[in-house]
Amino acid sequence: MTSPGLATACAAMLRRDLTLAWRRRGDIAMPVLYALIVTMLFPFALGPEDTLLQRIAGGVVLVTVLLAMLLALDAMFSSDIEDGSLEQLVLAPRPLALMLGMKILAHWITTALPLIVIAPLLAGMLHLPGAVMPVLLLALLLATPLLSLLGAVLVALTAGTRRSGMLLALMLLPLCVPAVIFAAGAVAAAQQGLPWLAPLAWLGAALALAVVLAPLACAAALRIALDA
Amino acid sequence: MTSPHIAAPLLEVRALSFQRQDEPVFAPVDFQLHAGELALVEGDNGSGKTTLLRMLAGLLHVGEGALRWRGAPLQRDACTGDILFLGHQLGLKADLSARENLHIATGLNGQRAGVSAAAALADIGLAGYEDEPVRRLSAGQKKRAALARLLLLPATLWLLDEPYANLDRSGIARVNLLLETHTAAGGAALVTSHGAVAFHGGEPKHIRMHA
Repeated sequence: MTSPGLATACAAMLRRDLTLAWRRRGDIAMPVLYALIVTMLFPFALGPEDTLLQRIAGGVVLVTVLLAMLLALDAMFSSDIEDGSLEQLVLAPRPLALMLGMKILAHWITTALPLIVIAPLLAGMLHLPGAVMPVLLLALLLATPLLSLLGAVLVALTAGTRRSGMLLALMLLPLCVPAVIFAAGAVAAAQQGLPWLAPLAWLGAALALAVVLAPLACAAALRIALDA
Repeated sequence: MTSPHIAAPLLEVRALSFQRQDEPVFAPVDFQLHAGELALVEGDNGSGKTTLLRMLAGLLHVGEGALRWRGAPLQRDACTGDILFLGHQLGLKADLSARENLHIATGLNGQRAGVSAAAALADIGLAGYEDEPVRRLSAGQKKRAALARLLLLPATLWLLDEPYANLDRSGIARVNLLLETHTAAGGAALVTSHGAVAFHGGEPKHIRMHA
């Protein structure tokens, strides 16, 4: 009997979810298209006034990206619950929290990363100054995994209930607010030439906390969801 | 212990019952399962067969009663890899092929020495369908793809919920053969079925469930 190490199990999990996402490429494109359309509509609605667009660019891109992520959030565990994969995962002799962490990582790679890649394009369309772009990307790199992790806990908590989308959105809203405030605060500070590191440090601290605690909470919540 | 066997039983169930919203799902059951034994869990629809297996697998909490594993109170952490559960939901990803599904299972659970995924799939009767997405397989072929796990994963106790469902006659014979070789090699299995199933390898133990 050969027992593979934790690294093998993690790699198997990650590869599985990435392959699945790749087989359904259309689903990855959806949030990206949504973000593109929303950002494109802003100049039409507000008028092509440079100063106004510049002022709102950072906030619009952040909110659009976070909302686009919500579109794909409730699908995180649903297919695994339906086809019994989650049962097999719970019963496997591997730490469930770690395996779920891999699932969340795969989810972040497939939903948030494409959005971060097009974020400079979105910001460019709203005339965000090029010098602020790195701060925006840094803010997104810290805020999106935080949202994935917090979202995963809530998805796991609502896993047993039907039509959980509405409940999920309501529960996630207060949790996103601090992430949006700190991320937008950093971008706004950079735009005004003020120091922008402090809000990002707060985001980083929250992310570090979530990376450790969210998978544990997810594991506990999903065990409860299956135990019914 | 009044067991005729000298070794402690692999699994011992004492007065096990389960309550759902304070309603007992089944009357308390008692049984012992020794290495090399096969037990059939019998009962009508809704008599709690699946619930019993899910409890033994560790998916449901143990309501009342006690579970003992190799003579000691069952600790989930100590025996997770030793128990293999196959339920109604097969745990296959429809977008992946049977081979990819097996690779995930071995990546998570480990692999029996000397068995390859290709050999297991050929053995279970899926030769030629290894790389077909599971969604395109028939219900019986999906079941076979899930059963291939039995050949590949290192587990001592198999908990099989309706392993014969959707299978044709050769598939049923294949499952019986799997169970025979597994019990002959010192493994044990708990199988639910409502139909009468013919085993060639000795008389299986019967566990009767009452609602």
